Amino acid sequence: MLAEIGLVATLLAFFTSIYSIGASIYGERISRKEATVLSGRNAAILTFVLLLVAMMGLMGALLNQDYQVKYVWSVSSPDMPLFFRITALWGSQAGSLLFWSFLMSAFSAVATIINWRSHRRLMPYAIAYMMAVVAFFIGLTLFIENPFSRWWILPNNPVDSQVVDAAFIPSDSVAPGAVELASSANGLNPLLRHFGMAIHPPMLYLGFVGFVIPFAFAMGALASGDLSTNWIKASRRWALVAWLFLSLGLILGGRWAYDVLGWGGYWGWDPVENAAFLPWLMGTAFLHSVMIQEKRGMLKTWNMFLVIGSFSAVIFGTFATRSGLVESVHAFARSGIGTPMFLFWFSLTFISVGLILWRRNRGELKDDHRFTSILSRETLFVLNNFIFVALFIAVFWGSFGAPILSELLMKTNITLGKDYFMRVTPPLFAALYILMGIAPVSAWGVSSARRLGKAMIVPLVLTLLSLIPFYLTGVHTGGALVAYGIVLMAGWVAIFETYRAVVVRVQMQSENPLLALWSLLRRNPRRYGGYMIHLGITVIGIGVIGSTLFQMETQKTLAVGESLTIGGYSLRYDQLLKGQIAEDGRMMDIAEVTVIRDGQELAHLRPRRDFFPQTQGLNTMTISGAYSTVENDFYVLLVDWEPINQDAATFKVYINPLINLIWWGSFILILGTVFAMWPKELLPSRVRESALAGALVGKGA
Amino acid sequence: MTDMTWEKPSQPVAAPRKGERTKFLIGGILIIAAVLYLIISGTTGNTQYFMTVASVQNSADYVGKTVRLSGAVIGETIQYDSQNLILDFTIANIPQETQNLALTLHEAVSDPGAARMKVHLENQVKPDLLQHEAQAILTGALGEDGVFYATEILLKCPSRYEESVPDQSIKSET
Repeated sequence: MLAEIGLVATLLAFFTSIYSIGASIYGERISRKEATVLSGRNAAILTFVLLLVAMMGLMGALLNQDYQVKYVWSVSSPDMPLFFRITALWGSQAGSLLFWSFLMSAFSAVATIINWRSHRRLMPYAIAYMMAVVAFFIGLTLFIENPFSRWWILPNNPVDSQVVDAAFIPSDSVAPGAVELASSANGLNPLLRHFGMAIHPPMLYLGFVGFVIPFAFAMGALASGDLSTNWIKASRRWALVAWLFLSLGLILGGRWAYDVLGWGGYWGWDPVENAAFLPWLMGTAFLHSVMIQEKRGMLKTWNMFLVIGSFSAVIFGTFATRSGLVESVHAFARSGIGTPMFLFWFSLTFISVGLILWRRNRGELKDDHRFTSILSRETLFVLNNFIFVALFIAVFWGSFGAPILSELLMKTNITLGKDYFMRVTPPLFAALYILMGIAPVSAWGVSSARRLGKAMIVPLVLTLLSLIPFYLTGVHTGGALVAYGIVLMAGWVAIFETYRAVVVRVQMQSENPLLALWSLLRRNPRRYGGYMIHLGITVIGIGVIGSTLFQMETQKTLAVGESLTIGGYSLRYDQLLKGQIAEDGRMMDIAEVTVIRDGQELAHLRPRRDFFPQTQGLNTMTISGAYSTVENDFYVLLVDWEPINQDAATFKVYINPLINLIWWGSFILILGTVFAMWPKELLPSRVRESALAGALVGKGA
Repeated sequence: MTDMTWEKPSQPVAAPRKGERTKFLIGGILIIAAVLYLIISGTTGNTQYFMTVASVQNSADYVGKTVRLSGAVIGETIQYDSQNLILDFTIANIPQETQNLALTLHEAVSDPGAARMKVHLENQVKPDLLQHEAQAILTGALGEDGVFYATEILLKCPSRYEESVPDQSIKSET
């Protein structure tokens, strides 16, 4: 029953989204009737409500264990705990497409409601674009990957094809028994039964679908001809929201890989990872260059390309990873959505680029200023954009461009391995960090080298000082010190610039430093939130360098009571607990080990191997045990044990220096992003007044 | 109000001087050249050809050359020396990948005439996904002895989460 409700709601949402496109365009362009435009707007909101119902229907079917529904049957099983029953909603293609459509319609509805009054001219077009994307995704769930389709038995068919799945009742069919289906149900892929994996996909999806809003505003601006900074204002914060979720999704994905996949790393340059990284790169470029358009009225065409490129990258990535186009560890099933996705991506990109070129030819995207000084802030921002786009191209080429081209042109199947990325990306990342260290102290318009140099002295000294602990703890190679130095510099500049502003505020407003910092964050959230993000990226960078360049590993077979040593630590094998049964039916073999340093017992870890008796296919998992400090992670895997004599077990141990800085830096980054997108309107009146006063004194920020 | 110092009110800006323009041009070209060099050298140095078991076996050219190889894992051949982390198994040629990966892999390992190749990996934790009828994607080189010495292994199990159908026996219930 719940599945039927979901199916009907999805069908209705398909029609309302299409109606919304028609009514918005027709009302705005042809009939010029406000009522029609309004009904288009309301249809967009209704689409969200209907998709909410559809999603609740699928969720209900999962919770209610309706195993006659194929999707429920294939991603859940009677022994699964409630939490994973809920997350099974996005555990497989059909469900995740519905979830994706739902999130996209939610974003669209919120954007429609918030921005309707302030951007009235853009909105009908923006709604039409948002709904076109939503309608496409609903179409995919309805016609290709329907999560509501159910199992049916056709008694008249040959014996081996009597069980079929269909959304609508086939003629001459009987419904299978729920009990029998329950006992054969698949259960969620064991790899996905992890907290990080439970929230990683929704965050990533939120990031992906979030880019639809800036895209729709950009397209709305191009279509309506309202090419003032209006669309930039409307889309900037949405781009930041999308960027926040995308960052979170990438970070959680890395954390999940580190915890669950058991190879001691967090990023493998796998095409699916890269597919999520590409929109992030493009989006980051946009978030920077949008400032130039706001402040200086420059780069109008470029920004259009970036915004459309971000969303185009989202759709391309979805297509590339879900169609089996590239080889990847992320075993998405190949499915029929490849061709429609490709056509959609192609037409979307084609139309967007066409619109940009058309407006540009009419001279409507002319810049207000030109570049004057090579050291000005806008030049440095352009350079930053250059590097981001270069990174985008390099990563795209390595993951998709080269393999696809060689397949098409030379009929050879090639891949560029991890080595390609490890060679091409570090210089580009280094360039970004250098820019991150210079651009914040440069000025708009014109900057002199001397002024710039003067502003850099203190951060430079701080950088050199902070390299000392690295040197003392054994980092002696020039390359590594330079890498740390470049990254640290970016962080010190962010801190020092904030510090200077705090000092001025303390002197002028006689506030205490903490309050001054708080006021700065709230008065100019984008700048100081931005610096906080820079600081987060710096901390992440240090973690990446440390864990990449200085990772240590060893492995050894130990009898109970024996130890192995690595990097100043020793690991003692205490005992093996075999055949422990967990709540969800998995069987765990747990090794108890003790981490010792300088004779001190630091921690008891329980690396283990899980076995899922009910699951076919992938049914074992190696779960690491880790002891974390600022200095490093002691990361241990139980590789195997002797089946006859349980005394001996083999362990693989990694020492990952500074890896925790990645997670801490991520936290700073997320916090900074939340500050940066905090609406100024919500400031307390006292602060707002002083901001207003500030704006009257100088032409305010 | 230090933060005001950067927000200079925009003044009408004259066209850049000729010298500046040349600087921009040269700078731009240099950057593009550097990026292109980086990408091209990265590509030529790290291209791995994706081969089938049969094509590598049939040509002596591939001995010692780093290639990427895809094959279907034959479960009973998997041998793991967990003390030394040495992994050996045999893969069968996958003639042509089709939409139904599970079926392709099943046919590959069941076909006694299919080309087969021994694979040897060292310093390797046995991957959870390594099992009968998994697809192994290996990076490494073929040795003189006909064994493929892999340095990297990537496994794909046809996820039955998408492709499977309940056992036909469920129909007896209704």
